[in-house]
Amino acid sequence: MDFLNLLARLADLDTTPALPAAAPRRAALGRLGQAGTALLPALLTGLSRPAAATPQNTKTRLDALHLALQLELLENEFYSRALGLVAGFSAVPFSATEKTAIQTIQQHEAQHVALFQRLITDSGSSLDPVVRYDFTGSKNGAQPALYPDVQTNPDTFLQVAQLLEDAGVRAYKGQVEFLQSDDYLLEAAVRTHSTEARHASHIRTMRRQRGATVKSWISASDAAITTPGSVPAKVYEGEDNITQYVTIGTSLVQVPFDSTLPINVGTPPLTPTQVLAKVAEAFDEPLNAQTATALLQLFTY
Amino acid sequence: MINSEATSFLGRTLRRRSFLRVAGATAASSALVLAGCGEDPAPAPTPDTTTLGFKQDDTGVLNFAYLLEQLEAAFYQKVVEAFPADFTAADKAAFLDLRDHEVIHREFLKFALSTNAYDAGLTTPLAFNFTAFTLTTRAGVYAAARTLEDVGVGAYNGLARRIANPQYLQLLAKLASVEARHAAFVRDQAEPNSFAASDVIADSGSLAGLDTVKTPAEVATLIASLLPVVLITDGLMLL
Repeated sequence: MDFLNLLARLADLDTTPALPAAAPRRAALGRLGQAGTALLPALLTGLSRPAAATPQNTKTRLDALHLALQLELLENEFYSRALGLVAGFSAVPFSATEKTAIQTIQQHEAQHVALFQRLITDSGSSLDPVVRYDFTGSKNGAQPALYPDVQTNPDTFLQVAQLLEDAGVRAYKGQVEFLQSDDYLLEAAVRTHSTEARHASHIRTMRRQRGATVKSWISASDAAITTPGSVPAKVYEGEDNITQYVTIGTSLVQVPFDSTLPINVGTPPLTPTQVLAKVAEAFDEPLNAQTATALLQLFTY
Repeated sequence: MINSEATSFLGRTLRRRSFLRVAGATAASSALVLAGCGEDPAPAPTPDTTTLGFKQDDTGVLNFAYLLEQLEAAFYQKVVEAFPADFTAADKAAFLDLRDHEVIHREFLKFALSTNAYDAGLTTPLAFNFTAFTLTTRAGVYAAARTLEDVGVGAYNGLARRIANPQYLQLLAKLASVEARHAAFVRDQAEPNSFAASDVIADSGSLAGLDTVKTPAEVATLIASLLPVVLITDGLMLL
C-alpha cells in the first residue's frame, strides 16, 4: 500500500479547526461541540488492518464530558444511598471501616459531579435531564432484578460498586482520545481516571477482605461476578486483551508478549499462560461510549 | 500541598482558561511523523556519567515513563529477592504481581522505544539506589512502595498532555490506571483506608476529587536520591 499517501489522506481528513490564539473564552468553549479530534486515533488503530475502512468517529469533547457526568451522577447517587443520605433508602450495613471508605469515595464522586457540571455549563451547553436510578437492575420493576438486595447486603453492594468503578476506569480511558486537543480537559479527565482506579482497587480490596476471590487489579483469577452475555459482563469483555501495538519506524508492530519479550523473570519461571495472565493484568483496557452507556442504562429508568 | 495551584497545570489554567495552545494541530502532525512519514529515527538522548536528558518530543516522554518503570521494576525485584521476615503469603503473592506488572510495563516501553530507548547503547543499565528505604520490614517496604507508586501516578497524569501521538496517549492511560490500582493497594496495606487520602486526592477547592499531577521536573526531584544520574527535564517541561 502507498503508506505515505494514506497518511497524507488521513491528515486531510482531520479537519479540526485550529483554535485561534487567545480566542474569546465563550467562543473557544463553544468549539467543544465540534467533531474531529478523535479521527486520527481511530484511523491509526485501523492501520493494523489496512483493508478495513474505519468509520469516521464524530464524537466531540462535549460528548465526552456528558458521558463523564452521567457516570459520576450515577456513582454519586449509588454511594449516597448506601450511606443513608437519600430519603427513602436506608444505609447499607457496613462496618465502621467500610463506611469510612464509602464516604471517601462518595465525596469524590460528588466533587466529580460538580467538576463536570461546571465544565459543561462553562462550555455553554446545558445539563442533561435528571434521570431516575434503580441499582437492583430491575428498571423499577420492568424486568427481573439482577441485584435485588443491593441496598441491604454489603457483598452485593460491593459487587455492583466494583462493576461501576471498573467500568468507570475503562470508560474514562475510552474518552481521553477525544479530549487530547484540549490540555485542560485532558488533564481533568486523566486525574479523574486515576482517582476512579484508586476507588476500583479499594473496592476490590474490601471484597477480598470479606472473603471474595478478587485481586485489586482486574485479573483472570478473579471469581466471576457477571453472567456471560449479560450487560454487566460487558464491563470485563476485552479486559483479558494481551495484544498491544506500537509504532516502530513506519509500521505498527504487535508487542511480542507471547514470544521474545523478556518478561518471564520469576524463579521458577511462570508458564506461558501465567505470563499472559499477568500481561492482561498490567494493562487496563478502554471501554467505548456505547458500552458504558449500556451499563448506565441498566441502572436508570 | 501536592496539588498546589502554583505547580498544577489545571490549577493555573483554572484561573483563566486561555486556550493558547493549538494542541489538536500539534498532536495530529506529530502523530504522523511518529506513525512513519519516513523521517529518520530521532537519536536517543545520550547519558553521560552525571546527567540524563530527555528530548522535547514523544520519545522523550516515553523514555521518561520507561525510566520510571525501570525504577519500579528494580524496586519490586529487590523486595522479591529478599522478602521482609514479616511478609505474609498474601504480601508475597501481591509483590510478585507488582514486580511482574512493572517488568511488563518496562519491557513494553523499551520495545516501543526500540533504538530510541535512552539506554539502547549502554552496556550496563542504570543502577538504582534504594538505601533510603527500609526494605527489611513489611511496614518499610509498603511505605517505599507507596512513595514510588504515588509518584508514578502523578507522573503519568503529568505526561498525558505532553504526549502527542494519540496511540501512545491511549497506551499510557492503560498503564496509568494499573499504577493507580497499585498505589491504592499499597497505601491500604501501609495504612488502612488511605487509598485516596487527601495527600493524593485534593479534598477541597476547584481541584477537589482530582488525583495528583506531577510535572517531569517535580518527578525528577522526587526520585533524585534513587538515581545515579541527574535528570534533565527541560525539554519535557516545554511540551
